[in-house]
Formats: sequence, C-alpha cells, structure tokens
Amino acid sequence: MVEQESPLKPVWKPGTRGNFSDGVGVYLSETAPGSIVQLAAWHGEEKAIIAAIKKVAGLTLPDGAGGGAATGTKAAFGFAPGKFLVVDEQEGLVAAFAKSVKTETGTVTDLSHGRTAIRITGPKAEWVLAKFFAIDFSLTAFPVGAGRSTVHHDIFAQIQRSAPTQFDVYVFRSFARSFWTALCHASEEVGYEVK
Amino acid sequence: MLITCPYCGPRDVSEYTYQGDGNRTRPDPASTDQEVWNAYVYDRLNPAGEHHEIWQHSGGCRAHLAVTRNTLTHVVSSVSFARDAGHKKSDSRRKTGAKA
Amino acid sequence: MSPRRAISGGRIDRLRTIRFTFDGRPFTGHAGDTLASALLANGVTLFARSFKYHRPRGVLTAGIDEPNALVTVLSGAVREPNIPATMLEIYDGLNVASQNRFPSLAYDVGALNQLGSKVLGAGFYYKTFMGPVIGPLKGTRFWMFCEWFIRRAAGLGSAGLEKDPSRYERMNAFCDVLVVGSGPAGLIAAKAASDSGARVMLAELDATPGGSANWSGETIDGLPAAEWAAETLRDLKARENVRVLPRTTVWGYYDGNTLSAVERVADHRNTPAKGEPRHRHWTIRTQSVVLATGAFERPLVFPGNDRPGVMLAGAALRYVNQYGVLPGQKIAIFTNNDSAYHTAEALKKAGAEIVAMVDVRDDTSVAGREIAREVGGEYLAGHAVVATEGGAQVSGIKVQRINAATGALSGDPRSIHADCLLVSGGWSPTIHLASQAGLKPEWDNDLQAFLPPKPTQNWVGAGAFNGSFSTEKAISEGHAAGLTAAGATDGKADELPSVDADAFDPNPAPVFEIKAKGKAFVDLQHDVTADDVRLAHREGFVSVEHLKRYTTLGMATDQGKTSNIPGLAIMAETLGKPIPDVGTTRFRAPFAPVSVGSLAGERYGDIRPERLTPMYDWHVENGAEFYAAGLWHRPMIYGLSGESVEQAYVRETKAVRGGVGLVDVSTLGKIAVQGPDAGAFLDRVYTNMFSTLAIGKARYGLMLREDGFVLDDGTTWRLGEHDFLMTTTTANAGKVMQHLEYLLDVVWPELKVQLTSVTDQWAGAAISGPKSRDVLAACVTGTKVDNDALPFMGIVYGEIDGAPVMICRLSFSGELAYEVYSGAGHGTHVWQALIKAGEPFAIVPYGLEALGTMRIEKGHVTGAEIDGRTTARDLHLDWMLSKKKPFIGSAMMDREGLVAEDRLQLVGIVSLDNRPLNGGAHIVEELDEANPHGSLGHLTAACYSPSLGKYIGLALVKGGKARQGTRAFISDPLRKRFGPVEIVSHHFFDPEGSRMHG
Repeated sequence: MVEQESPLKPVWKPGTRGNFSDGVGVYLSETAPGSIVQLAAWHGEEKAIIAAIKKVAGLTLPDGAGGGAATGTKAAFGFAPGKFLVVDEQEGLVAAFAKSVKTETGTVTDLSHGRTAIRITGPKAEWVLAKFFAIDFSLTAFPVGAGRSTVHHDIFAQIQRSAPTQFDVYVFRSFARSFWTALCHASEEVGYEVK
Repeated sequence: MLITCPYCGPRDVSEYTYQGDGNRTRPDPASTDQEVWNAYVYDRLNPAGEHHEIWQHSGGCRAHLAVTRNTLTHVVSSVSFARDAGHKKSDSRRKTGAKA
Repeated sequence: MSPRRAISGGRIDRLRTIRFTFDGRPFTGHAGDTLASALLANGVTLFARSFKYHRPRGVLTAGIDEPNALVTVLSGAVREPNIPATMLEIYDGLNVASQNRFPSLAYDVGALNQLGSKVLGAGFYYKTFMGPVIGPLKGTRFWMFCEWFIRRAAGLGSAGLEKDPSRYERMNAFCDVLVVGSGPAGLIAAKAASDSGARVMLAELDATPGGSANWSGETIDGLPAAEWAAETLRDLKARENVRVLPRTTVWGYYDGNTLSAVERVADHRNTPAKGEPRHRHWTIRTQSVVLATGAFERPLVFPGNDRPGVMLAGAALRYVNQYGVLPGQKIAIFTNNDSAYHTAEALKKAGAEIVAMVDVRDDTSVAGREIAREVGGEYLAGHAVVATEGGAQVSGIKVQRINAATGALSGDPRSIHADCLLVSGGWSPTIHLASQAGLKPEWDNDLQAFLPPKPTQNWVGAGAFNGSFSTEKAISEGHAAGLTAAGATDGKADELPSVDADAFDPNPAPVFEIKAKGKAFVDLQHDVTADDVRLAHREGFVSVEHLKRYTTLGMATDQGKTSNIPGLAIMAETLGKPIPDVGTTRFRAPFAPVSVGSLAGERYGDIRPERLTPMYDWHVENGAEFYAAGLWHRPMIYGLSGESVEQAYVRETKAVRGGVGLVDVSTLGKIAVQGPDAGAFLDRVYTNMFSTLAIGKARYGLMLREDGFVLDDGTTWRLGEHDFLMTTTTANAGKVMQHLEYLLDVVWPELKVQLTSVTDQWAGAAISGPKSRDVLAACVTGTKVDNDALPFMGIVYGEIDGAPVMICRLSFSGELAYEVYSGAGHGTHVWQALIKAGEPFAIVPYGLEALGTMRIEKGHVTGAEIDGRTTARDLHLDWMLSKKKPFIGSAMMDREGLVAEDRLQLVGIVSLDNRPLNGGAHIVEELDEANPHGSLGHLTAACYSPSLGKYIGLALVKGGKARQGTRAFISDPLRKRFGPVEIVSHHFFDPEGSRMHG
C-alpha cells in the first residue's frame, strides 16, 4: 500500500517556536488518519446513520446538532443537518460503511485524501483558534466530542473538540499548507511545539 | 448582523451568503408561460420592513435557510431550514400578474 | 525634581525613571505617565500647532477626548501620526515628534495664516475654489494652482511611506456580559454579573482600570478610591469567568450585540514580546452590555480659549491626583458648575496657588463658597473670563461681570495674572456607543446634556453615562446594571461599598459661550470658531448636519468630543430654538480612531490563502512558473533556461501533439452527486441527458442558468447506479456547487441527492498525445487500457505503482488523452510514475499556456467565453440542448434576444500580419487605426498555434457565424496594436476529432 503524502511536508518543522514565557501554549500536529468518511442521512434517517456509526466504528453519538464522540483512535461528529464525519486511524472505513449504509438510508463519501486533520492541543488552544474562527470555543458552548462547521476567510473547517484542551481541525487538503502556516504564525504568541 | 442557524446556532453574517428573495416559487418546469418565468427569474420584492429571504450558511453547515429579516433594522425574527419552509412562500404578486 | 511634579501623590512609580524624546529633546518621566503628564511635569506647555491657523496649542484634556496635543510616534522608519499625547504611555526609547509646524514648534512659518484668518473662515475653500473661473483668483483652476501649498500648510500629522512591520491580529470573543468602562460603576457591574455566574468581559480604554477612582481623591470602603479600584480589579482578574482588557477601546456597537474593540497590546512597550501583536482587534459577541463609559467635560467658549495653559478642570484633577503633576503654579479656574471646585481643592492641597475662582453663577452654593474661601485667591461669582493674555502660554486672564441668564457682560474687564486657566462647562455623558445601538438621545435641561437614548439593543447603562455623577450612584447603578445584564435578580445591594465623598450639584448654568471680542474656538482640532458657526447660519445652513459639514465642526479625529455640545448650543441660540429642537448628529462608529492594521489583522501583504494541488512541490522542483487562478497556483509553463514564455508553450504543445505530455488538472471542481435521484437531478440541471449514461462512462455536460445563459460545462462520470462524479471548470467550482445546493434545498427538497465537494479528494493528471496510451500501458496494472477496454469516454480502475487510480478517457487537447485520478495523497506518487513510464516516449509536463493553446486550436470554450452573457447557441453548443425534457434554463433560453442572429457568436480569428493577438482586443470592420470604432466584438483568448504556424485567437463577434471567411481588423489601442485578421471557424485543428478518437 502506498503511504499518503502529507500536504504539509515542506512547512512541517518539528520543534518549539515562539514565546515560552508561560510555557508551551499549544502543541500542533497532523493526525493523518487512515480514513475520513462523510455520511449523510436522508431526511428522517439520521438515527439509522447514528446506529451505523455505532455498529461500524463503535462510537455512541448523542442526539442533536453537532453531537459527537472521540476515542484515541476513532472519532465521529455531526457537522451539518444529517451529516457526519467519521474518522479512523486505520484505513478501510469507507468499505465498512458502504456495506452497512443502504441507499435508502443515506450516502457514504470517502474524504480520506480530501481533508487534512490538524490537531491543536494545550492550554491556549481555545485562544489560538479564536484568532481564526468566529465561534465560541469555551467548554460549555463547545463540549468534548462535539463538532462545528465554520470558515476562516476561504478556508472551510470542520472542528471537533476531541478532549477538553484538544481540537481536531479538518480542512480541505489544498488549503492545509496555508492554514498550517497561519496557525503556526498565530501560535507564536503563546509558544508552540510541532510534534 | 447575526443569523441563528437552526443547526449551528448564532453565527456572524460573514458565514452566510444571501441567496435572494424567498417569496418565489419556481413555475411548473413544463410551463411555457413567459410572463410567469420572467416574474420568477427577474422580479424581486424589495420591502422596507419584514422580508422573507433565503440565506445559505455557506461558511458553516451549508444549509439554505428561510429567514425573515427586517430590512430597516436587520432584526431577524425567524429562521428555519428552507427545505422545511416551502409552505411559507407567498407568490400572490405573480397570481395577480403584477410586476414587482 | 521636575518643575511641575508635585512632591508626592499620584499613581506613578516614582522609583522608575523613563527616558524619551520629544522633537529630539531628551526628557524623563515615570512609569505610569502618559506623554502629556510627563511633558507637563517637565514644564512643557506647547504641544502642537493647530490645523488651520497654526496657532500654538497645549493640552486640554487628560484622555481620549484630546483635541490639541496630537503627536507623531516615530519607530525606526515608521511614523504613526495623530496620537493624543494624553493616551500615549511613555516607555524607554519612545521617540515623538510634534505636528503641523515648520521649521519647529516654537517658530512656525504657518502661523502667518492667523493674519489671514478673517479670510480663512468657514466655507473659505468652497467659496474660493469651486465653480466657474471668474477673475484670476477664483475657481477650480485656481485651486489646482494652490492645492500644493494648501495641502502642505493644512492638516495634522503625516503618515509615513514605509511598510509597517508590526504584527496585528484579530480575535473573536463570546461572553454573557460585556462591561465597557471600568470606573466604579463598571467595576461593580462586572463583579455583580460575575457573582451571578455570567461570563464577563471588562474593557477599559486606559492603561489602568479604575476610571474616576484613579483621580477622584474620594474614599471607597475606607480605602483611597484608587486602591479600592486596584483591589477590586485583582479580585476580578482572579475569577475564571472574567476577562479584563485594559488599553482596549470599544469603538463600534453593531447588530446582534456584536461590538468591535481595539486592544493596544504593545504600544506601551519599546518592542512587543515575541509573537505578540501590536494591536488586537476584538469582535465581541455578547448577550448584553453594561455601558459605564462615564462622561466628557465640556470647555467654555471664550476669546483666547485655545491658548496653551487653558485646560479642562477635570483633566487638571486627573493630572494632579493620578500623575502628581500640577498644570501650573498660579492657577485660575473658570466654571459654570460645581465640579471644578474639587479640582481647586486638590490643586491647593498639592501645592499650587489658586489665584482666582471665576464662576458665571451669582448664586453659587454654600459648599462652593466654602471651598473657594479655603483655597484662597479671588472669588468672582457672576463673572466670566473674556480673554486670555500671553503668547504661546497663558500669562493672565481678563474677567468681566456676566449675567448668567442672558449672557450679557457689564462693567470693565480687568486682568488677573495666572499661568494656567482651568475651565469647566459642564459634563456630557459618553453616549456614543448607546447612540449606535439606540434611538435619539434625550436632552436633560438640568444637566444641560444629552442623556442616553432608549436602547434598540440589549444594553443597560450605569453611572455618569446615565448622568449620575456621584460615585455612590455609580456604584448602586453599576450593581443593578450588572445584575440586569446577567439576567439575575438576586443582588445583595446592602453589601455595596460605601463612599466617602463631598456632595456636589452637577447641574451647570446654561452658559456655553462668553460673547466678547476675539477668536473663540468651539472645535479646537479643526479650528472652528463660534463666529464660523454663526457665519454658517447666516449663509443658510440651519440643519445641524449641514452646519457640521460646512464648518467641519466635529469632523476631526476627535470627532468633536469636546465641541459637539457647545457648537450645538451656539447654533441653537443663533436659530432662537432650544437645543433639543436643533437636535444632535448621530454618533457613529468608530468611537475613537482605529488603526487600519488592526482591521486588516493577519490579512496582511498577500491576504489570500494559497490553494495548492497535490503535485505543487513537484512543479516547483521542476521549474514551473505559476499562475494564480483564483486561489489556486497552477503551472503556466515549465520553462527551460533561456526560453521565453511563448517558446516554452510552443515546445510543450508540439511535444504533446507529436508525442505525449502530462498536465495537472487537480484544480477542476469535483462534486460527488450521490443518491437514488442523482440521475434525475442531473437531467434537470444539465441541458443534456445523464440518467441514461451507462455506469463506467463519462459524458460532456452543459449547464444553463435559470435565465437561459450558459453557467458552466464539464464532464460527469457515472461511477455507480446512484453515484456520479461531476467535474466543473476550476473557476466555477464554488458557484456551481452553490447553484446545485440551492436547487436541492429550496426548489426540489424532495429529491434524494447528496452533494459533496471532492475537489480535494482527487489528484488529476491528464496525459495527452498520440503516445499517451503507450505510457499508460507501460505503467497501469489491474486493467487494460486499449481501445476496447477503454473507449472514448470510458472509465477503468487500476493501479499505478501500487496506488489505486481511476482513468477516464477524455480529451481537452484534441489528442488521444486520459485523465488519471488518484487519491490526493498519492498524487505526486502517481505523477512521478507516469513521468517515469513516459521517459521512453519523451513525455513532457505542460502548463496552462500549452493547455490553453491546444484548446484554442480545438475551439473548446472556457470561462473566457462562458462569461455570463453567452448562450449555448452563441458557443455552437445548441446540439447539447435536449428537446426531450425541461431543464434549468430551458424555459428562458429561446427568448427573442437570446436567439437573435446578430448576437456575439464564437468564431476563430487568424492574424494576417503574423503578429501576436491579445485577449480583450476588439474586432472592427474599418481600417481606421487612429479612430477605431464600430466594434464587432472582442477576442477572448489568443496564442501562437504551432499546429497552424500562425497567431490565432477565439473571439465573440456580432453575427459571427455568418462572417466566417471574411476579413476585419484587430484593434487594441492600449497595446498599440492594429492589424488585419480573418474571421474563421473556431475549429482550427482536427475538426473531425479523429485524433482523440484514434
């Protein structure tokens, strides 16, 4: 199997940069999952998709807009009415969903190459992301597991809070390098480490 | 200006795209009545006050929303998914044959 | 010790000395000083020259309302003009220059303007420089002659030309309660809101939160007010649910309780910390707002009121109590209200001599008279200052009796020696933000001021903002406002801090102007006098809006913070109307000047993100030159050394037509169209049929808009029964997606179709040329690629060097060609494998220029021809218009104007003088190079065609179909190009398509 190439390659510079007067504010990384799958339910079939996610990925999604769940290796969240992003460290998720999601339930779309997953972790993660996105990142407004769709200028982003101080930002692959560069720049203020 | 997306919650207007007058119903595709098509394609209501509009949450969930907005105050009094809002459309203007 | 620094007192750190320069002269101050307080402490009183008359000016205020003391901050080659000295915190190395003077502040040539000041009154420019030329010294032509001199002489500071290297940033914030202003009202409001569990932000425009507590000299909860404020602030800062933003000016109040603020993060430091922005723009979205923005003191208007040494009494209180600075040694005070008496007390206490208390009121209060007696000096009730004496510094004042009710002066004026005159004309609540989010302000006759309007958004006011000028009221109102804003009902009002302060009557006598002989300034920053206001009235400007525009009163950088009400009062008197009937202009954003950098934020330089294809790095490494196509960066040519662009694309084109080439087509818009109704949906949106397309086949499709014009074209591939992959042109990808989403959401919600942008999922490499099949055969495994397995418009799946690929045989170049799609993360891997497999066949990578050349030769249309004004017929695509079904645009496409014979139609153009053509050039019939006229249409694209050996182009020409075979001329005056051309068919090359079907 051919490895996926990272779109960040030339701008990927492990190490620490910025102002560390208060320690490392954020850790930045690319999670490079093996599978990113979009599931879309027809109107009224949302529960069936949530059930399929439970069956295939073992993740229990809460009801309601933006509901999601994340484990160390898998994650899923709603990002639009009837639409979910399901992510797995391993490849092969598309095939598994293709089997369990019937035509009358909804659609399965492979985005494993089309989206780049950038993880931002640390005490200043909310602060840095608030520089880009006009959404409320506080824990009460954006609980762990939940997903959000938003945009930074031309860069669409789907964001999941995968832990209290950790966010996974899914951007279009073609924009990933620009976004990463901007993210590093914005993180200098709080000190960041790329790993 | 904020619009409260039924899915995403209140978001800044910069995340939305205006998609025009929401008081329009597309004519029967088989219709050849040019008056009716002209009205659909070109006539737009432009009230000073409450207006039914379509906005797309293009920088969010991408759903189209049926928005009632006061064009004088920017107060948004109702928002729903456009796909659920079909019954709200009023096309009385075209029934009378008047041009906007 | 500095000459004007009090021996003790103030909130400055006297142990820390700060060194800075003003106009090249070194000065020292202390940590906590502003430039204004530090210079005043050094005995400097001359800060600037005025806007129009170049009059010497000092410092009038101690805050953001300062009209006079504007300076330019120099930092390396960068200069930032018009910064109020009263807002500029000093730091070691600060370098400041004064403005609008030549050659120096003390000896200014421009001050000669004062001699002509009779001529330079309001409307001077309009009267002198506009209209027809009558006589030698009038009219627009005269203006053009004078402009250079005038622009040099008038104005404030000048901006630099150097690029600003500072970092700016924008930040989004959300909270339940935003408190604007951190005086006692704001502090208590923030505390109350926080106590009831709300998420609170507290914004303060000054460096040290606390507002009036920092200089009132009062006692709160047994502590000096400033210490109480510091204590309260420490408490607030320690709370999880409170964010305090000092040095942050909330300047705009927008719909949906969205407020804009600018935080001056690093202006008080010599160098920002690493990664720290200089300014941070905050967009704050909040549930509710507490406006505790305090009040501005108004000056009185009297002759000589602009002389350095004249200062607002409230500002003097602040200089002495917050900065330990005396604005003078022999101080006179001129007031129409009680507030200035506290200043007198504080100054006396700090060691200044009060030489006179001048109060326009006869019937002053007992308490006031008591204070006047205590501070000593002359007490002149029922008197007014009618002039100031001195040069560039007050040396004395002239006083005369006044009747406060009528304004009539009587008796002889007499002089009193003083080096400083403190003035108070009453207080105006700072209702600017409320005015942006409310109805009309309401006039209060007792306070002689506008009070906040009724809100149209979710805010509540407290303290001086409400016209409640006592600290006790500020605290109780702040508490109530904090609770209301937080939506709480349970407040412990009995536990509010106690205030020990002198009671005073805030109501002023309704005196705004002392009408004596001499220049009396209303707007100090724009040099507008009381006489200018009256002149405007005489010339017919009766509306306050017109007055403002004619005299420019209130239109300078300070937006008339000290001048609006006096100006309005003078206008009202002239009109013989009460002030509220004249009305006030609406305050608009921004409340105070905002740096453009903070608005741009991180969007600096090239503000657009770059969109890169998966093979971008390979292109860079292999010598590609790039085009920006929208946000995408696409290879234009892969030039060899010494090659021109034309030589490069001609070489690449020949290589493709003669052998094989590879081009990156990853930028094409790709939309997954999935669901049981996908075929039916495509039938409705395309002009041709797609539901009948076989699985594993692609078809060229055309989309119209509802109005019948062409929207876009592209191929759509059927990958499964319910699974299509639509491609769009690069430029229209977003537009087409939005068009389709609209139809599914709004027009046909019953259709079960799902759209997903998969542009970024796939890397696309188009391999073209007679040898392309050989290259594929050499590297593709898992499928055959011969004509039977992969016919024209067929799709197969296989692998290239281990990576899964999907190959569709279609052609844009007109050659035998294939598009090879792989996962984006495999894009470079597959591309390199194709290049390697192509080496024996002399494969070349080619760029957009060669791609464009081949499409012109073939007469294929792109965005240049699909320009929103062309129909399918115009582009010879009417064969794609199905008659079997309605589709988007079918009802409108046959309208009279859309089928007319003389429409602009697609044709080919051949240069007959063997010189290049350019897109945008016009086609004309007559040989008249000097006066080209009668355009028949324009060129949309042009190139040198290696296949024809000629310069050719595509054009949209009026009635073009009928003109084929005729001659015309190309006219391109901008490029000085005129020459003969032949109009031909747009199919230049292989019109039968035998090459791509081979």
